[in-house]
Amino acid sequence: MATLSKKKPVGKTILYGVITAILYAAAFANSEAVLQLFTRGGAYAALPIAAVFVFSFAHGAFASNLWSVLGIEAVTKQPSKRPTAPAPRPAKRPRPRLRLSL
Amino acid sequence: MHDLAAEGVKFIDLNWINVSFLFIVGFIGGLISGFIGSGGAFVLTPGMMSLGVPAAVAVASNMCHKFPKALVGAYKRYKYGHVDLKLGITMAASASVGVQAGIKIQEFILSKWGEAGSNLYVSLSFVTVLLIVGAYVFYDAWKTSKSGLGDQVSSLAQRLQKIYLPPMVHFKTANVTISLWLTIPVGFATGLLAATIAVGGFVGVPGMIYVVGASGLISSATELVIAFIMGFGGSVKWAIHGMVDIRLTLIILAGSLLGVQLGAIGTTYVKEHMIKVVMGIIMIIVALSRALAVPKYLEELGIISITQSSIGLLDLASFVTMCAALAVGTVIILGSMWKSRPVAEPEVYARPVKEGYEHV
Repeated sequence: MATLSKKKPVGKTILYGVITAILYAAAFANSEAVLQLFTRGGAYAALPIAAVFVFSFAHGAFASNLWSVLGIEAVTKQPSKRPTAPAPRPAKRPRPRLRLSL
Repeated sequence: MHDLAAEGVKFIDLNWINVSFLFIVGFIGGLISGFIGSGGAFVLTPGMMSLGVPAAVAVASNMCHKFPKALVGAYKRYKYGHVDLKLGITMAASASVGVQAGIKIQEFILSKWGEAGSNLYVSLSFVTVLLIVGAYVFYDAWKTSKSGLGDQVSSLAQRLQKIYLPPMVHFKTANVTISLWLTIPVGFATGLLAATIAVGGFVGVPGMIYVVGASGLISSATELVIAFIMGFGGSVKWAIHGMVDIRLTLIILAGSLLGVQLGAIGTTYVKEHMIKVVMGIIMIIVALSRALAVPKYLEELGIISITQSSIGLLDLASFVTMCAALAVGTVIILGSMWKSRPVAEPEVYARPVKEGYEHV
C-alpha cells in the first residue's frame, strides 16, 4: 500500500553534513595560518567573502535537509490577500466635452 | 599587501566556552532573523566584545556572518512566496544613502563630544526609536489579535498609496502600488538606523508595514534582502581592512544557518500578527537594556555623578536584559510554532478497511 508520507532526504543530509564537516575541519585544523592569510586585507578580502559563500552553500543545504529529516517542514500557504487602495489615476485625464448640435 | 588598520588588532584565542557561546547566540539570532527579518546582531557585537574581541573585529566578523545568513533566509522565504525582490532592492538602494548619512552624523558627534558623546547618542537613539516604534508595533499586533480581522493595511499607507507622484511603482508580491518617492524615506531611515545602532530592520520592517503598506510576512522576508545587500557591501569594506576574524564568523554561521531556516519555517506555521508580537517585544526589551547604559555615558560626560560599582552593575544588567530579549523572542517563536504545528492527518488509508464495515 502506498504511504502518504514524503521520502525524507537522509542521503542528502549525510552528504552535505560530511562536506560541511570537511570544510570546518579544514578551516580550524590550520586556523592560525587561515586567519593570517584572510586578514591581510586588500585583494585578500576576497578570501573571507568567498569562504562564507562556500560554507553557506554546504551548511545551508545541510541545515535545510536536516530540518526536513526531523519532520520540521514549511506549511504551504500563500500570504493572505489584503484589501488595498485602488491605483491612483493621473489628475489630468480627458473629460467628455459638451457638444451642442443645433 | 597588509592593511595598517589590522596591524595592532589582537585576535582572541578560542576555547570551548566562547565557541559554545557564539554558536548558541548565532542559532538564536538566526532564528529571530528568519522570523522577523532582523535581530541577533545587537547581542552578538557586545557579546563578542565581552569575550575580549576588539570592537572593530566584533563588528566586522558579525557583519560577515550576517549577509550569508540573510541570503539563506531570503532564499528560503522566497520559495514560500514571502519576498518582494523589487521592494527589497528599492529599499536597499535608499538605505545605502542613509548609511552614509548616519556615518557622517556619527563622525560629527564624535569630533564634537568625543566617544562618550557618541555612545550616549547611540543609546538615546536606541531607546527613543525602539520604545516608540516597538510599542506601536506591539499595540498593533495586540489590536489585530483582539479584533480577529487579520492583517490590515494601515490607514497611513492607504492614504500614501492614493498620492499620485510619478514614478509610481507596483510591488507585485507585496501587492502595493506607491510612489517611489514615498519609499525613499523608509529606506533612508533604515540605513540611518543601521549606521547608528546596527539593526536597521527595527525601522525597515515597521516602515514597510505602516508606510509602504506591505504585510508583516512580506516585510520581514523582504528585510532579509536589504540585510544581504547592505551586509555584503559592509563586509567587503571590513575585509579590505583585514578586520574579519573568519573563525568567529564561521562559528556564528554554523549556528545561525540552522536557526534562520527554522525561523523561516516558523513563519509558515503561525498567524501573521505573531511576527509583529515578537518584533514589538524584542524592541521594547532592547530599548530598556540600552536605557540601563545611559547613566554610564552621562557620568563620562560629567552630567551626573555615579560610583564605578554602580556602573559595573548597570553594565551587567544591560547585557543580561539584552540576552533576555533574545531568550523571550526564542520562547515565543518556538512556543507559537509548537502550538501551530501542522497536525498529522489520521492515517485512514494506512489501516486496512474490513469488508462490510464501510457503511456502519
